[in-house]
Amino acid sequence: MRFLATTKIAFASLRSNLLRSFLTILGIIIGVLSIVLIVALGQGAQDLILSEFEGVGATAVILRPGKQPTGPADFSDTLFSESIKDRDIEALRKKENVPNAVSIDPSVIVPGAVSYGDELYRPTTFGWTATAIEELLDIQPESGEFFTADDIRERAKVAVIGSKVKEELFGDDDPIGQSITIRNHNVKVIGTFPSKGQLAFFNIDEVVLLPYTTAQRDILAIDYYQEIFIRADSEENINFVVQDVEATMREQHNITDPEKDDFFVNTQKDAVESISTVTDVLTIFLVAIASIALVVGGIGIMNIMLVSVTERTKEIGLRKAVGATNRDILTQFLIEAVMLTVGGGLIGTTGAIALAALAALVIRQQFALDWPLSVPFGAIALGIGVASAVGLAFGLYPARQASRKHPIEALRYE
Amino acid sequence: MESNTHRIIQAENLNKTYQTADTETIAIADISLSINDGEFISIMGKSGSGKSTLLHILGFLDRPSTGTYIFGGVDTTSLTEEELAFIRNDKIGFIFQAFHLLPKQTVLENVMLPLVYSRIPSREHRARAEEALERVEMTHRLYHMPPQLSGGEKQRVAIARALINRPDVIFADEPTGNLDTRTGEKVMHTISELNKQGHTVILVTHESTTASFANRIVIVQDGRILSDQPNERRHVHYQK
Ligand SMILES: Nc1ncnc2c1ncn2[C@@H]1O[C@H](COP(=O)(O)OP(=O)(O)OP(=O)(O)O)[C@@H](O)[C@H]1O
Ligand SMILES: [Mg+2]
Repeated sequence: MRFLATTKIAFASLRSNLLRSFLTILGIIIGVLSIVLIVALGQGAQDLILSEFEGVGATAVILRPGKQPTGPADFSDTLFSESIKDRDIEALRKKENVPNAVSIDPSVIVPGAVSYGDELYRPTTFGWTATAIEELLDIQPESGEFFTADDIRERAKVAVIGSKVKEELFGDDDPIGQSITIRNHNVKVIGTFPSKGQLAFFNIDEVVLLPYTTAQRDILAIDYYQEIFIRADSEENINFVVQDVEATMREQHNITDPEKDDFFVNTQKDAVESISTVTDVLTIFLVAIASIALVVGGIGIMNIMLVSVTERTKEIGLRKAVGATNRDILTQFLIEAVMLTVGGGLIGTTGAIALAALAALVIRQQFALDWPLSVPFGAIALGIGVASAVGLAFGLYPARQASRKHPIEALRYE
Repeated sequence: MESNTHRIIQAENLNKTYQTADTETIAIADISLSINDGEFISIMGKSGSGKSTLLHILGFLDRPSTGTYIFGGVDTTSLTEEELAFIRNDKIGFIFQAFHLLPKQTVLENVMLPLVYSRIPSREHRARAEEALERVEMTHRLYHMPPQLSGGEKQRVAIARALINRPDVIFADEPTGNLDTRTGEKVMHTISELNKQGHTVILVTHESTTASFANRIVIVQDGRILSDQPNERRHVHYQK
């Protein structure tokens, strides 16, 4: 009742100073806009990355040689480690060692360029199994076919290439049946991938895929693997698979102290978690910077509220003289400050959502990414919540000043 | 209405001192005053004699430094700020020399202002305001803004605002001070009328013509009561 009346008073006073009210909340608008925009875009990016990973599957376990990298220096250890070899694959493939694994697919990376006639291109070349790609990315050859288990066993010199590779090397010609040269080895193109762009770790359009045996033995002439892709029979059993893989590898390599492991195991969950952590930290960092605008905006509110309290000293005196309590006056000015900042918050949040939607459309068109087009309710709540908090925090001091005025001294104020 | 002999105000040994820098100003000293329900009192005195200070204390806009103030049978000396605000809102009406209307609110809104802070349901506010405005003959200016009113009209709106809570006591500090003689006279007739309708009126003025409307005149000098006498020649010369 009394609160409603006080709210009306506050609203009327803001309306009578419309331009000043608007200029006052500019800082809040900018602050809230940046924060909500950052959070919305951060959420969009995270959702996008996570949805890519969901495609990769929650049942994937990846075994790599070397040490789990914890910093840039560790990467060289991982890249140049040769600890995972054929006998390890054989051991892992034994059902009694890793009973919950349904497939074990080793892979090697082939550095360098690929050529066809005079055309040269640097794709991402690696040896793997075609079934792993098929399952993992849910992808079928656009033309030709994938290589088979027989091709892998026989170390067939065949390759499946991505759309970008095809375009660069063959232009409009049909690549199927043609020979391309990889590190002085001739390999026959038997299939092409459909154009799908970035999928999880790599851009499928820039890939040249070989049977891993061919890539390892013939092209690179090495006896180790850079990555073993293991699929668990279910998401629940993924931890058993991790434990069994680790136990098997330690037995193979005679390791008793896990600290001395010459391999490491990751799951998609780990990857998802670490990516979430990165985007979260980045978001928090950017929000912290944007909060500076909010603090500046808050100080602006405080300043204008102090001016307003001084200007309206007589009004305060009169209200007290006719029966307003300290609390009534405090509430009136606090509501005014909160109305200002929430108004700014509403404008800022609306602007941020509009900008986020625009960004989503642009990203979708320009980068062919499946950027989510959602209304970030959390971000809206955040924007309004933060704005109210700023209003309360920075409006409290001026409102207290107002409420503590002595009625007679206030009435006498010139 | 209660009986005319009911004592509404009893002040004993009121003092008010102001501490400014190194000097101590004694605004009122040792004032004792009893006022009955229905009286019309004029407080007179030279400028700086302490009239306003006394009125503010009696009207709960200020507190005495020492002394006892019993209002309507209740000792108000130790009441909280909130309780004083309630008395201001519910029991008294104040009329100022400078009117003190809110310039951006209509006549109607200005008159209803005290009700915002009262427990009176808002659907009754308008009727009450119109009734109060009727008593000061200002119903034809409901939606005017104060700057559009003449001085006398402003003061009548201010009187309506003081009336809206049906106060026991109306306090007026130089209500005619900003008005010309004729307009002031009219305002005094209005106030006098309110007194006849039963409101106790306590008025501060330094004009004897204004004071003459009262039935009792208190003269203050240097913060003390110099004389306190019934007004024998009550505004006969005003009744035209
Ligand atoms: N806040 C204050 N601080 C210091 N001195 C004050 C204060 N208020 C009033 N006084 C002093 O108290 C004395 C009485 O003041 P008051 O306003 O009551 O006089 P008054 O009789 O109403 O005079 P006037 O007829 O001019 O209005 C004056 O000397 C004045 O200077
Ligand atoms: Mg005075």
